[in-house]
Amino acid sequence: MIKSLDPRVNRAAIAEENTIEPLKDLDQWETYEVFHQKRRGDQHMHVGIVHAPNAEMALIFGKEQFGRRGLSVNIWVVKTRDVFTTDYEDSDIFETVPEKQYREAGGYKVMDKINKFKKGL
Amino acid sequence: MYGNAYIDPNDKAAMMTAGEDPQKLAEFEARIARGEKIEPKDWMPKEYRKQLVRMIEQHGHSEIIGALPEGTWITRAPGFKRKLALMAKVQDEVGHAQLLYSAAETLGKSREAMINDLITGKSKYSNVFNYPAYTWADACIIAWLIDAGAIINQVANAKGSYGPYCRALDRICTEESFHLKYGHDNVVTLATGTPKQRELVQAALTRWWPPIMHFFGPSDKISNHTEILMKWKVKMATNDDMRQQFLNMYVPKIWDLGLVIPDPNLKKNDEGKWEYTEPDWEEFKRVINGGGPCNAERLAVRRNAEERGRWVREALNTADAKYIVPLA
Amino acid sequence: MNTEAIKELLYKMADDLLIIGHRNSEWTGLGPILEEDISFSSMAQDKIGQAQALYVLLNDLGEQEPDTVAFTRNANQFHNAQLLELPNGEYDFSLMRHFLYDHADQLRFETLANSSYEPLAKVARKVKGELKYHVFHANTWVVKLGSANEESHAKMQNALNYAWNYALGMFEPSAHEDILVAENVFIGEESLQERWLANITPILMKAGLSIPTSDTWNPVFGGRKGMHTEHLAPLVEEMSEVFRYDPTAEW
Repeated sequence: MIKSLDPRVNRAAIAEENTIEPLKDLDQWETYEVFHQKRRGDQHMHVGIVHAPNAEMALIFGKEQFGRRGLSVNIWVVKTRDVFTTDYEDSDIFETVPEKQYREAGGYKVMDKINKFKKGL
Repeated sequence: MYGNAYIDPNDKAAMMTAGEDPQKLAEFEARIARGEKIEPKDWMPKEYRKQLVRMIEQHGHSEIIGALPEGTWITRAPGFKRKLALMAKVQDEVGHAQLLYSAAETLGKSREAMINDLITGKSKYSNVFNYPAYTWADACIIAWLIDAGAIINQVANAKGSYGPYCRALDRICTEESFHLKYGHDNVVTLATGTPKQRELVQAALTRWWPPIMHFFGPSDKISNHTEILMKWKVKMATNDDMRQQFLNMYVPKIWDLGLVIPDPNLKKNDEGKWEYTEPDWEEFKRVINGGGPCNAERLAVRRNAEERGRWVREALNTADAKYIVPLA
Repeated sequence: MNTEAIKELLYKMADDLLIIGHRNSEWTGLGPILEEDISFSSMAQDKIGQAQALYVLLNDLGEQEPDTVAFTRNANQFHNAQLLELPNGEYDFSLMRHFLYDHADQLRFETLANSSYEPLAKVARKVKGELKYHVFHANTWVVKLGSANEESHAKMQNALNYAWNYALGMFEPSAHEDILVAENVFIGEESLQERWLANITPILMKAGLSIPTSDTWNPVFGGRKGMHTEHLAPLVEEMSEVFRYDPTAEW
């Protein structure tokens, strides 16, 4: 038996050679992606994952792992396998030619016309 | 394929990038040089992945094993304030293991595989946790000084290149600041308390000083290997730099309390560097290889915990469960 | 306001919370999976925090400091129900006890939120959210494990059978009960037990677990009067080991 300074370990009466079967695949369940909202009015943000056997427990776990210091008011969880993502390899799809002022506020300069019009009056 | 060139097996740097697509490698290194982060599904050299998995996994193991020496005193913490705080601190260590394992998982190693490697002794964890916490004061010294050392390491690594690891570390560092304050408060209380308390804390410091000096590891041999890891921002500071930083920040604080550090050669020299008696690196190796006072116990306890929880985990597993590598 | 009666109520509630919080804290770092380890530890902290809040009320009524009360009494001065001092055993029993106790605890605080004894009502309102999470956690686990596979069902049923008479012991009647009820401080143990049964029965049914038949009910009383199993004295001794190492010290 292991003789420990930790009374909990002594109570568990652990043999020194306690070889165990290796953990099998999925022993730790699958993963859920956790999103939290810091304050009402904020967007939900991805904060990490939890391993859980079902959605209720993912919520129970996510609440404590990511919200135990009162930093969240709301939590969402979704199975990792249900999330669709773009590939970083394709991140060039987010790049675009800069000549697209037509959809930026700065692309509209009416004062020039107004001033010219006023001068001409 | 780029694997045909002859690689000198003694040229570790070349071995690290052998067979990698030079263009992808160049883009990868340029991204890191620009200060951008690498994300899980990005292309990365095999060696980068391997080193990161090893490092993050060991860090995760250190947290879960690190919960044991302090956990030794969880049922005996004196008074409500200490009892609640120690529970919260040990809980945080478990939480950190969860965050770190999750980060390592994004690189393709499952949590099951990591736990299996831990409990069979294949994978290592921080050596300090192979020492026992004889008294309450040991738990206090750990909470202050081991956590202080961990913060120095983690703050450095949080500036590394791998996104998920940095994000985990940012969160961990925030919580560690509570640990450090908690630990300091405990040590100050003992050191400024009754003669019996002072005696306890001095004895604990004397016991823990050698493992603390071991904590950052032996001086790095500056090799091409380390240089590449530093270029890839996997290794962010040398062991000696971190040890110097630790000594600089904490030795004065320890001396402030009138405690004696068991090293007569410890002093800051004229160049501002700390001089100290070289720790016993043979002892360090012996403990890493399983010969420390608590190695056997720590792993036996982990195996026991995994085994006692197995029926719980198995019962809740559903037939349609499917493991997918976490996203971030 | 009958101070003695209120003190008795506060003592049994605080001692229940301290002892189960202590027991549950033993799982920290050793739980069945990391995520559950964290959740269970949070709830143990909540319980010890709630105990402390009640010892503060006792202190306001002239009893000693919370630390002194919690860390220097002997086992026979504790008023917790015996259910809470039993060793953790395996996770089945720990969860079942958590389920049985937390339902009772939630109801107790829920009714006390309207107590005529305002300091206690205030504490009761403050801990509402914590208890809601505890009960949500307990219900989810008991339902899932009760109905998961044969092994887990059998373990949970055995845990329920073993815990049952101890759980009934939580509702040990008190000599001061009539006064507390008359003064609208507390609804009384009997009525609490009725509500508790009504709350846990549908959850246990959902879990596929059976409450032992009522002819076998034999509540384990005594805890409220300081009579305990052989497990409490070592627990108290362990809990106060450091505190008593130097009782004059500030820790």
